[in-house]
Order: sequence, then C-alpha cells, then structure tokens
Amino acid sequence: MESVAQTSELAADQVSARFSLGIDLGTSNSAVAVEDFETGRAAIVEITQLLGPNRIGEKVTLPSAIYVPHADEFPEDGLRLPWQEKGSGPIIGNFARDHGALIPDRLVTSAKSWLSNFHIDPRKPVLPWKSDIKEQKLSALECSRRYLEHMKEGFLYAERAEGRTWNITEGQIVITVPASFDEVARNLTAEAAQAAGFGKVILLEEPQAAFYAWMAQSGNDWRNQVSPGDIVLVCDVGGGTADFSLIAIAEKEGNLEVERISVGEHILLGGDNMDLALAYALNAQLEGAGKSIDRWQFLALVHAAGNAKVSLFTDLGLHQIAIAVPSRGSSLLAKTISTTLDRAMLEQIILDGFFPLTSVSDLPQESRGAGLREFGLPYAADPVVSKHLARFLRRSLTNVKASETQGALVKFQALEGEYIKPTAVLFNGGVFNAAPIRHRVLDLLASWNDGIPVRELQGFQPDLAVAKGAALYGRNRATGKGIRIKAGTARSYYIGLESTRPAIPGFKPPIKAICVVPQGMEEGSELLIDEQEFGLMTGQPADFRFFASEVRSGDLPGQIISNAERELEETSRIEVTLPAVEGFPEGQTIPVVINPMVTELGNLELWMKHTRSDRRWKLEFQLRME
Amino acid sequence: MIKPYLSVVAVLLIVLNGLLLIPATSAYTVPIALFGLLLAFFVLVLSFRAGPKATSASIAAPAPTLATLPPPVIATNQAETEIVAFFALLQDKGRLVDFLMEDLNAYDDARVGAAARVVHQGCGEVLKEYFKITSISEAEEGSQVVVPAGYVADQYRMIGKLGGDPPFAGKLVHKGWKTEYVKLPRITKTDRLPAIAPAEVEIG
Repeated sequence: MESVAQTSELAADQVSARFSLGIDLGTSNSAVAVEDFETGRAAIVEITQLLGPNRIGEKVTLPSAIYVPHADEFPEDGLRLPWQEKGSGPIIGNFARDHGALIPDRLVTSAKSWLSNFHIDPRKPVLPWKSDIKEQKLSALECSRRYLEHMKEGFLYAERAEGRTWNITEGQIVITVPASFDEVARNLTAEAAQAAGFGKVILLEEPQAAFYAWMAQSGNDWRNQVSPGDIVLVCDVGGGTADFSLIAIAEKEGNLEVERISVGEHILLGGDNMDLALAYALNAQLEGAGKSIDRWQFLALVHAAGNAKVSLFTDLGLHQIAIAVPSRGSSLLAKTISTTLDRAMLEQIILDGFFPLTSVSDLPQESRGAGLREFGLPYAADPVVSKHLARFLRRSLTNVKASETQGALVKFQALEGEYIKPTAVLFNGGVFNAAPIRHRVLDLLASWNDGIPVRELQGFQPDLAVAKGAALYGRNRATGKGIRIKAGTARSYYIGLESTRPAIPGFKPPIKAICVVPQGMEEGSELLIDEQEFGLMTGQPADFRFFASEVRSGDLPGQIISNAERELEETSRIEVTLPAVEGFPEGQTIPVVINPMVTELGNLELWMKHTRSDRRWKLEFQLRME
Repeated sequence: MIKPYLSVVAVLLIVLNGLLLIPATSAYTVPIALFGLLLAFFVLVLSFRAGPKATSASIAAPAPTLATLPPPVIATNQAETEIVAFFALLQDKGRLVDFLMEDLNAYDDARVGAAARVVHQGCGEVLKEYFKITSISEAEEGSQVVVPAGYVADQYRMIGKLGGDPPFAGKLVHKGWKTEYVKLPRITKTDRLPAIAPAEVEIG
C-alpha cells in the first residue's frame, strides 16, 4: 500500500537544477543536447562510442543499434569504453550498426518500436528477433536502458573532459518519445531511464520538441511566422518512423498560446524504407542488364543508393548519378559492378512512390496480413506517406470536433470539409533535408486545400532539433521561463467493465468501458471517478482491460462507452492486488473508486482509492498478449 | 599469393609517397624519393629470386586451417599504430588499399573508373567525417596573387624564381589544402600494428 507521495518527485525536478539534458531516444539514431544554466551554453553532446575493435571516437549521434558479440570474435579488451571497467557484452552505436549489418543475427535495431508492440512482452529477452544465438538475448526495455545508460555515461565523460563534473541528479532530464506512444510505452521509457540511472525523467513528445527547437532557432521571429488561428502540422519522418502532430496557435490576453491538439498513430515507415526501395529498383535494373549481386553487395547498394538520393535531391542540376558496387573480395577492379540512378527513376520511386498526390479520401490499406507479422514489428502495410497523412488529418478533425474547447481553438474554415486543414507545416526528420520532398508535401497539402498554398515554417533543422528542443524545454521547466506548449495527455483512457447482462448462447455482449482519463488532462492534476464503484477482494489479483483513443477529445471522466471494442483501441491490461493489511483482512471485498493522476513530470498513474478512507493502491500496466 | 614482405614494403611505399605530398617535408624530397626507389628495387630483386611456385595444387584438399597463433609482436609506437589504423579506415570505407594493391594495367578505363567511384565515395566520406579540409588560397588557380611577408611557411611553396624579400607576387598554380581539425578514432591498444583489413570468412 502506498500513500500519496507526489511532492518527492518535485524535489529533483525544480530545485537547483544546474543543467538540462535533452535526449532524443530515436528509433534508428539517438542524440543528446545540453543546456548549461550557469553559462547559458547550449550544445549537442558528442557521444563517445566504439568505431571498431580498439577504436573509439565521438559522433553527434549514437546509432540505436546493439550488437551481441561472439565470445571469440574480438580481441580481449578491444570493446572497452573509457568509462567501463571491462569491455565485454553488447556493443552499442556506430560499430554495432556497421558490423551488425554483416552478421544480422546478432544485431538489434528499432528496439524502440518494440516498446509499443502489443504482441511481444517488452520485458522478455527476445532480441535479436528470431535469432538462434547462444548468448543472452535482450528485452526491448533492456535495449532502451542500455542506449540511455550509454548516453548518460557519454555525457558525463564528455563534460568531465572539459572540466565540468556534473552529477546527473543536478540535471533536468528530458527524454523524447513519439507522440504516438501510449501510456504503456511512455511508462516503459521512463522505467528504462530510471534503470539507466537517470532518476525521474520528463517525457516530451518528439514533434513538440521539434517545435520548441524551431521557436528557439527563430528567436523572436517565430511570433511573426505564426498568428492566432494557425494550425501547424508537425510532419516528422525519420529513418524508421513517421510521426504527425497538430499544434494550434491561439491568443489569450494579448499573448500567443500554443496548444497541441492532435497526435497520430505509430507508423513504422521512414527514410530507410526509401533507400531500400531505391536499392530494389537498382537491383532489378542490374539484373535486367544480366548482372547479379550477392547480399553483401546489396548492403553496399542500399548505402550507395542513399548517397545518390541525397546528391540528386541536393544538386537539382544533376541528371544522374553513377553507382558502383564493389564485391567484398579484394579485387576491386575486376568485380565492381556499375549502374546509374537517374532523376526520373528517383522521382518515380521516392516522390511518386512514397509521396504521390493522392486524394484526401485515399487512405492507407490496413491489411495486416500474416506475412507482415513475421517480421515481429507491425511495419506499415502501405508505404504511401500521403495516405497516412490523409488518415491523420481526417482523424484529427474527428478529434477536434469532439470537444467544444478544442473546436474553439481552430478557425471555422479549418473545420469545414472532411479533414482538418493545417495552415503551416514544420518539417522534421532527415528525409526532409531534401527540398523536393518538402515541396511535394506542400503541393499535396495545397491540392487538398483547393490549391490554396500551405506555408512552410522557415528555419527548421531536420537532424538534431528534437534533442535541442528537449534540452530547451528542460530549461524552460526548471527556470519557469519561456513559452510552454499546452498539451496534457494526448489520448483519453478507459477501463473495461464486465457486462451485467445475462449470458445468451452464441452472443458475445459488447464490452462497456468507463472513461477514467480525459484527453488533455494536465500535469499535476488528479481526478476521482466516483461514477463507478468497484469491489476488490484483498489478496486476489484483479485485472481490467484498458483502452485508449486519440480521437475522442470530448469524453468526460466517468462517461460510459457502450461498445469499447468498436469505439476504442485496446492497449494493455492493468492489474492490482490489494494486500491484506490491518483493517483489510484477507478475502474481504473493499469498495474502491478509480483515482487517476498525472504527475508533475507528466506520467499517468492510475490508483484505486478506498471510498471511505485515504488508502489507495496503484494499478500496474500489463501487456496484452495474443 | 602475397608474400609477407610485400605488404610491409607496400605500406612503407605508401607512407613515403604520403610524406612527399606533405609540404612540410619538401626539404627532404630527394632522400625520401631515393629511399622509395631503393625499396622498389629490393622488391623487384626478391620477386625474381622467389619465382612462381606450385600454384593450385590443393583443389581436392580439405580447407586449410588458418593460423591461430597470435601474430609476432612487432615493436611499434603510437604513431605507427595510428597510421595503420587510418589506412584501415580508408580501406574499410573506401577500399583504398585494395585499389592501390591491384595492377591497373590489366583493366580498361571503364573498370578503373568504376573502382575509382568506390574509392572516391568512401574515402571522401572519411575525409569529410574526420577532417575539415579547406583550400589555403581562395584565389582562382591561374590568377595573380601576392604572398605577404610573414606567411606561414608550410602553407605556401614558391616555385620558379625565388629571390628578394617578400611579399612575393606570382601566379597561383595550386590553391593548396589544409585541415582545420583532425578527429580520427583513438586507438586504445597500441602494442602491435593492427590489421589493415581482416581476412573475411563467410560462415553458413
């Protein structure tokens, strides 16, 4: 049993923080930014990592890759990092990614997406997925913990090298998560951070972090670039995921207010898919010319295709790029195979393949066939980003219309029609380094908007904005200065109720659910859902089905949804056991109500509160397995 | 089949050629070149004496077991270890050593060109990642420039007729290169020279 312990978290949060650390825990690459409150220094932390056996160096990003080495594979002590006693066990970062490409059985990538995968327990050591290595495998949670620990040690090491001996507890730590992460995945991230030695951390949605970075980058000019009534689409397409959010600009007592009004679903689709698509097309071209390549050459081809894509999208005067793929043998001259990537092919594959000018009613295919499940991760079945964007904007309209307060933030025109019309776009993610892709997205939005252009916010930084924005947010929080995006919980949450109807053979009654957390519930607030009383028996575990929705901004706490399986998405189970203690003997049924709270750090906690005393018990999220 | 001394000599030759490219060593051009010639001659003599031996005698024989003994310890120092590690990097990313160790004469320009793209792309990435290379003179090559008094000696080389006191006026022949920093990987173990490229064995 626990009592209310809200204030202890605040201690580390706001008292005497000396710096803030923004951590972009990315699907394919991670980065760290620091803001030093004493000197005002804001910088990206270069992360020390292995570049090979016996080779270490610093890079601005840490590839989110873990390689599990074979015991005999590398020289003894060759994998030791400067802050380690001995260098054994999994390798993280640059060398892990590059070397792991050659031995894929031992490589873990995209661990982050496994945190929001409801089919595999993120605490179960199953990674590398479907690999038959003898070494200890890792859980998705453990992978995240290791990335975070590496970044923590790397940060302290880099700072010490410059004579700054911080203690990590003196920092305000902000870790970014996809806006599409639900509470279960968010809680797992916070748990990984705690296990990595960060203590309590603040979680910030990645698109919001990008927006903070943009505000900082633009200085005071950002106020000229947006005006009340604007709806900004934050369009973030990274290496492995696409993440969308809408941010509304409003005015209150003469000041601009910024509020995040909608978040998208978790879409496993990004720049890596684009490079792969190019490589497959080039491979077909090679085969057409009677040349064949092996799987090692294919890796080189993917890399070369990515480089060629960047060159063609950067230098618009180029018509084609010659691509040479060496064999792995030492004979470079005899065995190098050449082909070319021309602009028409690039545009057909990238612009027309991933960003075609589809109609706003053209939505992604949702077939999640068995073939896709084989990979373990629910990769997007439809590679067309345009269609995912259309789906997001349509769902956002449903969400905004569901609540009067949200609807009031948005100009009347934006709500007309079948989707919510953004008036500006902030791009983020490496894919948008390419101007032609940005232009294509703007063209797409204009084509949905009767040809009226949607403007691009100037001054975006596609690569490291999320980490920088997170550090800045940490500083704003710790110092109480600077503008804050009004956000609250991105989804509403529901607990399933057992049906009280008499059973009828062959008929499964719909599951009802009660809304326990409304969308937009703010940090540091709590509720008591006394519309529904539950009787829990001490000593007996009780579990409930837990549902969420990102499109029901109007639901109020205590509201009953009559068909949860149809209206909501099931995200997990929650479980609680009331231990028998004094006053509550074993086997007694205790009347409780649900007591949700969002901590000062933004974490959602659900408690069961005794109706006749202040005693309460915390509900734990359990993964729903199939 | 590459004999062991060949790789040692090749590395030495590469280092010597590299030294020739560094402006600071310009005073030692002749001795370096002479040493290089001697080395080359030495290899030539050895290659004749060794002669071609039995080549493909082991077609049906079982796969040879590769040496498992640790390589002999060669007395070395940090700088040597690091230069080998740098070659390893150029080889890994841009196949430079593969390229230089091959006989160009056996191939036409199209093949050399394809291989050059691999080298150019990969080694170019290494240069961009670990150095910040800029030109020394911003003037266009072929234009008239004035090298002021007190110029940094290793950044300018006067050729042709040099006399009198600076400033020196003349035609810019090469704009020069410099790097603003070097951020090469640190080598954590330097007791012996690392491999330039490991022999690769595919299993399964």
